Amino acid sequence: MSRLSRIFRARTGPYTEELERARARAPAAPGSIVKSVCGFCSTGCGLEIDPHRKTIAPARDYPVNLGMACPKGWEALAPLGARDRATRPLLRKRGSLVPVSWDEAIETFVNRMRAVPAEARAFLSTGQITTEEMAYLGALAKFGMGMLHGDGNTRQCMATAVTAYKECFGFDAPPYTYADLEQSDVIVLWGSNLCVAHPILWQRICRNPHRPAIVVVDPRATETAMAATRHLAPKPKTDLVLAYAIARELIARGGIDRAYVDAHTSGFETFAKGVEPWTLARAATVTGVSEDDLRALVTLIAAGRRVSFWWTMGVNQSHEGVRTAQALIALALMTGNLGRPGTGANSITGQCNAMGSRLFSNTSSLYGGRDFANAAHRDEVAQILGVDPARIPTHAGRSYDRILDGVLTGDVRALWVIGTNPAHSWINQRALDDVYQRLDFLVVQDMYASTETARKADLVLPAAGWGEKDGTLINSERRIGRIRRACAPPGEARTDLAIFQAIAEAWGAGPMLRRWRTPDDVFAILKRLSKGRPCDFSGVEGDGVQWPCPTAPPIDRERRLFEDGVFFTPDGRARFVVDAPSPHPEPPTSRYPFVLNSGRGGVAQWHTQTRTSKSHVLRSLSPRAIYVELNPLDARRLQIAPGERVKIASRRGDVIARAFVTTRVQPGHLFVPMHFADANVLTVAAFDPHSRQPAYKASAVNLVRLDKFER
Amino acid sequence: MTDLAPDVLGWLVAHREGTAVERFARAHARGVARYRELVPLERPAPGEQYAFDVDMDACTGCKSCVTACHTENGLDADETWRKVGLLHGGDARAPWQQPVTGSCHHCVDPACLAGCPVLAYEKDPDTGIVFHLDDQCIGCRYCTLTCPYDVPQWSPKRGIVRKCDMCRSRLAGGDAPACVAACPNEAIRIRVVAHDAVIADNEAGQFLPAAPDPSITQPTTAYTTARAIPRNALPADYYDVHAEAAHAPLVVMLVLTQLAVGTFALAPFAASGAGAMVAVALGFVALGASLFHLGRPHLAFRAVLGLRRSWLSREIVAFGGFAALASLAALAPDRALVAAASAAGALGVVASTMVYAATRRATWRADVVGLKFLGTTIVLGLATLDAIGAHASWLPRALAIALGVKLAFEASLLAHARDRHHGPWKRSAQLQLGRLRALTCARFATGAGAIAFALCGVPEAAVALALAGELCERALFFVAACAPRMPGALA
Repeated sequence: MSRLSRIFRARTGPYTEELERARARAPAAPGSIVKSVCGFCSTGCGLEIDPHRKTIAPARDYPVNLGMACPKGWEALAPLGARDRATRPLLRKRGSLVPVSWDEAIETFVNRMRAVPAEARAFLSTGQITTEEMAYLGALAKFGMGMLHGDGNTRQCMATAVTAYKECFGFDAPPYTYADLEQSDVIVLWGSNLCVAHPILWQRICRNPHRPAIVVVDPRATETAMAATRHLAPKPKTDLVLAYAIARELIARGGIDRAYVDAHTSGFETFAKGVEPWTLARAATVTGVSEDDLRALVTLIAAGRRVSFWWTMGVNQSHEGVRTAQALIALALMTGNLGRPGTGANSITGQCNAMGSRLFSNTSSLYGGRDFANAAHRDEVAQILGVDPARIPTHAGRSYDRILDGVLTGDVRALWVIGTNPAHSWINQRALDDVYQRLDFLVVQDMYASTETARKADLVLPAAGWGEKDGTLINSERRIGRIRRACAPPGEARTDLAIFQAIAEAWGAGPMLRRWRTPDDVFAILKRLSKGRPCDFSGVEGDGVQWPCPTAPPIDRERRLFEDGVFFTPDGRARFVVDAPSPHPEPPTSRYPFVLNSGRGGVAQWHTQTRTSKSHVLRSLSPRAIYVELNPLDARRLQIAPGERVKIASRRGDVIARAFVTTRVQPGHLFVPMHFADANVLTVAAFDPHSRQPAYKASAVNLVRLDKFER
Repeated sequence: MTDLAPDVLGWLVAHREGTAVERFARAHARGVARYRELVPLERPAPGEQYAFDVDMDACTGCKSCVTACHTENGLDADETWRKVGLLHGGDARAPWQQPVTGSCHHCVDPACLAGCPVLAYEKDPDTGIVFHLDDQCIGCRYCTLTCPYDVPQWSPKRGIVRKCDMCRSRLAGGDAPACVAACPNEAIRIRVVAHDAVIADNEAGQFLPAAPDPSITQPTTAYTTARAIPRNALPADYYDVHAEAAHAPLVVMLVLTQLAVGTFALAPFAASGAGAMVAVALGFVALGASLFHLGRPHLAFRAVLGLRRSWLSREIVAFGGFAALASLAALAPDRALVAAASAAGALGVVASTMVYAATRRATWRADVVGLKFLGTTIVLGLATLDAIGAHASWLPRALAIALGVKLAFEASLLAHARDRHHGPWKRSAQLQLGRLRALTCARFATGAGAIAFALCGVPEAAVALALAGELCERALFFVAACAPRMPGALA
């Protein structure tokens, strides 16, 4: 009878049990959980991987994320199982990429790299691999293979902050700890859409018990602007004027900490003179922010006891990003908001290991934030690594943009691209088509053979991804996190470290790098390279420690820099830097009347979507195709209906996108998400002159309805 | 101990505290347990239930809730039980946007439960949680039509639907649901709400701007904000027109059952003996087609369980009765039997109508669905009888008039494309004149062709075209139904 009733009425059964099994919290086997930090952004959340169930849970005991993760972290395993993973080396033969053996791939790499002179070889690396891997690459390429030119995609996101910090603090040293977000009473987020770009840092703000004033400075009414207590929307790329006007008004009101300025800084008088022309009235005209709003912000900053300034790409990706970042540093310095809890001039980094790259990629600076041009630094490194000092180049080599320029002029003929996708992400994309044609040899080392850049390669080296290897990443607050192998790479894919080692052996650089065998070996070398430097972490044992950490065991406190007011400059004083604001490189004209901004579209998309597009869930949480945000007033004027396909025209090329009619953008402004390759057809190749970082966020474009045939 | 060198001792003392991470974990133990505040300590009293409570001011649209739900419930790669949409509006001076996270609203009057033919949905008498018995489901997907919020998710791999049950088992163990526990901003909570209060709020239209009418099912989720929502707030996907699922087996089933009933019931008037036979044969084809629609057809017999409340059960039973009675009548013609079979068939068509009308979708209003289904019954009945050689000279003219009226009625609905308001009628018309234009053209061309052939005395061609036309009409009926949905994100 019960059997019969079950046939009609099945309250339980295999499907019910399946769901309950999935929900059961106990891991399959004790000790099987792999603790790692996330490999997407620089927040550096702790994640716990269950390799058997193939699931991820945010670590509850990690000091960064407190049991939370954004969708990318939750879905971090999905990209590893994608069908288009590169599983064998691919070599272009008679026009198409065909699988070859690793032996043939490495032999080809060595022979064709050697076929061009050392000064014509270059590499473009990434902030997405481990510190150990990027350090190995730096040694192999520069000391082993004699390459002069190498840069990373960190040039696209962090170069401005690096340059600004170096000049002002004497070292590339973001001074904060995330706990500062919980301790401020005034938080200024400048050009940062924290809720979308770093959602877990927004969580830290939510935990702030002081009911802080949160000010967002952004031309767009972003998610963060909506969640803030105050939003200032300056015209694009008028940030420097805005910051100078605030500084001037603070000085005029006496809202500065004279004692701090006198004791710990230099160059204040010159700075004060430099900002003198920028009255509130003048700034209001230039920036479009009302004098009242400016005054209110100045009052907030002057009255705040723990004011912190945070910036991201809105500042860094600008034609005068370095000076803008330095103006924010100046605001913190002049108000004494540095080195105390809840304060700081704080650049929030982009990629998971941008900070590792900044210290150890051996590209724009020598290991440990040293200078290639400094003979003493070269000797130090040579001695620690046991390499001939003569093998260490005496200059940093070309920056990213100049490597690509070099290809066009014939000075660079072989390019090795590792873990990045310039054919999608580099500014003024169409100009690059020529670059790939002109190269004698293009090698792409990546998890996927399907990226826009890999499809153009002569040789594709299949690499393991996050979750398939061991090593360390350094997050925005200088915390050294461990990533651990939870599963095997597919097919013949190898870790980047193993690929570099194979190349080193074949090149004959093996003996020089014999001590760099495992990630642990390399980390030990990095500790020695850091010793005595501002970033000294020679005392680190275990995971999750912030630098500096010179002695073991680590001191149990938040590691905020400059608590003693002593900076890394020769005189120990922080520098004020001021400059005249420069005109926008491509102002709107009657033919191209709109200012086009670009940036992160949503939480579920990461950069060129190489990985995030591989997760069904992340795909379902983001728009399928490129869209353009435009204000309803512009839409009405141009008779563009919501959702209609429109053409965005620029001096460099046209793009067709869906119109998203929204008040998020001001009239006269447009916004496109950077996650779709077409976005960079439109961007103008302008750079910050000091950092060589591309200024992605302001290009002059026009918006037109499609004609009947195009529609 | 004393043998140890002092520096080793010091090191051990320092390490007694554990690593920096361990110390941190202890310091934040309170923080880790914080979500205890996010679920109620008390059980609901009679007349109360658990409900989601969304603090819209805290939600920044990070969508962690979606992925946490996906992971913690072990959902398939492409399956999600929670969605995050976006409302936006305001003007250049005061721009406004608001993410909207939503899953099952655990309604006071759940339409999924009311419509389920196999009683696979239950509303927990203590907690009010609306949950689904996965092993009871036969995969008819009717709940995906009745739920105004697109909550039940079809799982093709299993042949059933699945949905949010507020992580019932976690809640029972004192744990928070996955979405609640995973929200970095503590924007989602579980609260105890009184049914009366929910109904009163919904009566006042307090649910959520641009969301489906809450009076249909009385959703319990509370969306709260201290900010003023601008009067022009609309979903980011408001102007998108979504095509719905086609449900081909249902298209065939509906058209053929109506053909069978029409043919059978009209046969006596046209003095056709063969009509009944043809009707019975096609009726069985229709019932077979309906089985193809089920995810787990071998459990179709369970559909009788819902007879007391589900129109779908009633439809199945009525057509089952029609098939049985009509078979008997075809074998042994008897006036009473024919009348009974015709009545069962008519009841079936009425039940079909009510199956769709009960979803409360605007484009599936009872009168519109009823006219379409009755029209198909008459048109295909006449056309079939004419084609199999019934001796009634009035058949072609009757067919031309019936089909002409039906076509005119359908065409009149397309005029809604000119509506100013972007309601379901306009969207449906836009879809039929836009993306589905080929199908719409086919529908009217076949209809016109059927009339022409009927009047020219080619009844075989007329019936073929009429049948094709009705199949097109029914496909449009599903695809261009324009279901209500929660505010969506930019697609």
